[in-house]
Amino acid sequence: MSPMGAMFDVHSGRLTPMGAVFNLNNPAHVVHWHFIQLSVSNIVVIAVMLVVFALAIVIPFPGAARRQAARERWRGEP
Amino acid sequence: MTPKRSWTVRTREAAVGALPPEKLLPDDQPAYVDSWIYVFGVATLAGLIVIIGSGMILSLKGPAWWHDTGVGHFFNSIHLWAVELFFFTMVVHLWGKYWMAAWRGGRTRVWVTGAITFLIAIPAALTGYVSQQNFDAQWISTQAKDAMNAIGAGAFFNVTNFGQMYSWHILLFPVAVVALVAGHVLLVRRHGVVPPFELSARTGAAAPSAAAPSGAPHADPPVGGGGAPS
Repeated sequence: MSPMGAMFDVHSGRLTPMGAVFNLNNPAHVVHWHFIQLSVSNIVVIAVMLVVFALAIVIPFPGAARRQAARERWRGEP
Repeated sequence: MTPKRSWTVRTREAAVGALPPEKLLPDDQPAYVDSWIYVFGVATLAGLIVIIGSGMILSLKGPAWWHDTGVGHFFNSIHLWAVELFFFTMVVHLWGKYWMAAWRGGRTRVWVTGAITFLIAIPAALTGYVSQQNFDAQWISTQAKDAMNAIGAGAFFNVTNFGQMYSWHILLFPVAVVALVAGHVLLVRRHGVVPPFELSARTGAAAPSAAAPSGAPHADPPVGGGGAPS
């Protein structure tokens, strides 16, 4: 498969959009620990959710300081 | 003697009393809402809108279209990935609200409607897997029937019955999810966004409370008073 987002179709002789970046034509890889069984793809999604959650708390929201200053000016506070 | 009022007047007065226009459609939010963690609820709503829109198009065109045409594949993918984003953002929203103890300050119904929406959204998505009209759907339904039979639901929730699953997927579950989300959002508007825990209450210092605009929701009990961890 091409990393360019397309693959060559031998029947039509054209580049066609590919369905997935990775080859999905095989059973899913799973992590099995006691009664817990998770596919690797699901583990990756859960990890990304945790990272996004942490970043959402840490990264400042754009314009927050400007809006807070405007609120304080509006209320006449220093 | 007061004139007898019609049910429409009583309904209007109750609705406006519970949610006056400036509360229903506010033009400002408390300072603490300026955080990325508050974005995920709206992102979940955006995902739901795309799911409903793409689902309408899929239901109009039918299985032959979504399996056999390029545009059909495109809308099928839009529907799938909107669901993925819907659950992704809903779970991050859930985590954020859980660690904020978002049920504080009389917001129990806000929390409960959100939790029930999450629980209803799961079978709403799973019935989509068995409504695809392909071998994947057949495989999933024949695996899922054992689980349904094991919990005693197989007699009235037959996952191998395409017509029944499709009805649940495109009507009953979406109506429930949309109604719950609408109620959830209206309750958020009524009670306001939950404020963060006050550091002064946690440290015992007599510091002034966090800055919030005049339209901020009603004050919360100090930490410990609302079932928060000590």
